[in-house]
Amino acid sequence: MTRILAALAVAAALAAGTALAAGPRDTLLAGYVAEAGAPASAARGEAFFKATHSGGKPDTASCTACHTADPRSAGRTRAGKPIEPMAVSVSPDRFTDPAKVEKWFRRNCNSVLGRECTAAEKADVVAWLTGQ
Amino acid sequence: MYRATADQHEEPRSRTGGPVRTVRVWDPFVRIFHWTLVAAVAVAAATGLLADAPWIDVHVWAGTVMAGLVAARVVWGFLGPGSARFAGFVVGPRAVLAHLRELRTGTAGRHLGHNPLGALMVLALLAAAAGLALTGVVAYGGVLKAGPLAFTTGYTDGRAVLEVHELLAYFLLALIALHVAGVVFESRRSHENLARAMVTGRKPARPDDHLPAARPARPVAAAALALATLGIAAAGLGTLAARPPLGVPTAALDPAYAAECAACHVAYHPSLLPRASWTALFDGLDDHFGEDASLDPATTGRLRAWALANAAEAYDTKAANRLRAVEPAAPFTITGTRFWQRTHADIPDSVFAGSAVVSKGNCEACHADARAGRFYPGNIRIPAPTESHP
Repeated sequence: MTRILAALAVAAALAAGTALAAGPRDTLLAGYVAEAGAPASAARGEAFFKATHSGGKPDTASCTACHTADPRSAGRTRAGKPIEPMAVSVSPDRFTDPAKVEKWFRRNCNSVLGRECTAAEKADVVAWLTGQ
Repeated sequence: MYRATADQHEEPRSRTGGPVRTVRVWDPFVRIFHWTLVAAVAVAAATGLLADAPWIDVHVWAGTVMAGLVAARVVWGFLGPGSARFAGFVVGPRAVLAHLRELRTGTAGRHLGHNPLGALMVLALLAAAAGLALTGVVAYGGVLKAGPLAFTTGYTDGRAVLEVHELLAYFLLALIALHVAGVVFESRRSHENLARAMVTGRKPARPDDHLPAARPARPVAAAALALATLGIAAAGLGTLAARPPLGVPTAALDPAYAAECAACHVAYHPSLLPRASWTALFDGLDDHFGEDASLDPATTGRLRAWALANAAEAYDTKAANRLRAVEPAAPFTITGTRFWQRTHADIPDSVFAGSAVVSKGNCEACHADARAGRFYPGNIRIPAPTESHP
């Protein structure tokens, strides 16, 4: 009986741990989706990420300028610093710190597009990279 | 008095291979001193005048060896044998002029040890070498903030003394040229190989030679005095060198500054730009080298305050001194300054483009102490163009 209870307790703890680990990213994505008022699309996110945009700064016309077209490989800043891969399968802590995500969306969308990204665009990109 | 004409009769005898009676002129210490000094000066001259900045440590070691040799030679000049003693060969101006007159009239005798002109040269060479060591240690302390005087020497003073150091270096090279010319001249005049005598220590004995005063050497006293002097000097200089250098950053980078700036590039030490440049930089973070690098106001304020408190005006390193003036065209592009471009002119573009460096702004790729704002030349290691990123 105690053994069963112990097993149950371990299982519950594991489940809680998993829920906690996945929590921040799910909450973040849910927030963007709610703000956009439409479900996220990973396909749209990929296209947006790889597209060449106008309106931003000349050296950074696309997300891929620094992140490369392969989200599973490391990118590099224009100054030469390595950037951790964006794909969650390779960098599990991606999109778990809302302040960090917002900071970099704000700066990088401004650099690439010349404006802030919409909640729908953020939702799409996060959805795509979470599945990568 | 020995005459040059008599020499011409004597010299062929030695060339026939017959036994020539020789006498010892130069004791082993003088010979080892002479050729070690030649090596030390050669290394110091090559690393100081020809080699790139990273050779500074070799240069300083060569200079240190030179200084030690000169100190030991001065001790031996008082406690060595006759031909090594200052009292045995240093003569007054009247004797020098008399020697010159005899040379002109062809009546000058042969000196087994240093002749009066040679004695002058010995003193001049020793003085120049000592002067180079002294100016070198001041310049090293003031400009590069290293060595025993780094704790007290300002950049401006070090820079001025470095000019004297350079002039002395050329003066020493001129003296060496004159010394070699004098050796060639005197060797021809007296029909002997003076350079070989400085190797073997021996010269053919001839009648009528001017002999150095016979004085017994005191090698034990000399060794004790030289070792004590060098030991005390080494301990004292080492203690001074261990003091914190003047005007060199010691605190670690502010963690927020390091984290935010190093997200995209090297966390440049704030001492590399003047306050006006930092103000302009923080005012324009939304268009920072072609990217939006803006931060929330609280973070921006914290980083700005820390950078201003640690800007070039707050330090006395070479980099802080040379980068303290604002470049009007590009107030915060360090690689755009004339100082940066001049000091990096010899580095091929392939090095910067290589995967180990990537960007000219990547100071840390070559300067191991860039983050500390030190930029000591001995800490430079330039990666090969093909080397992969660490």
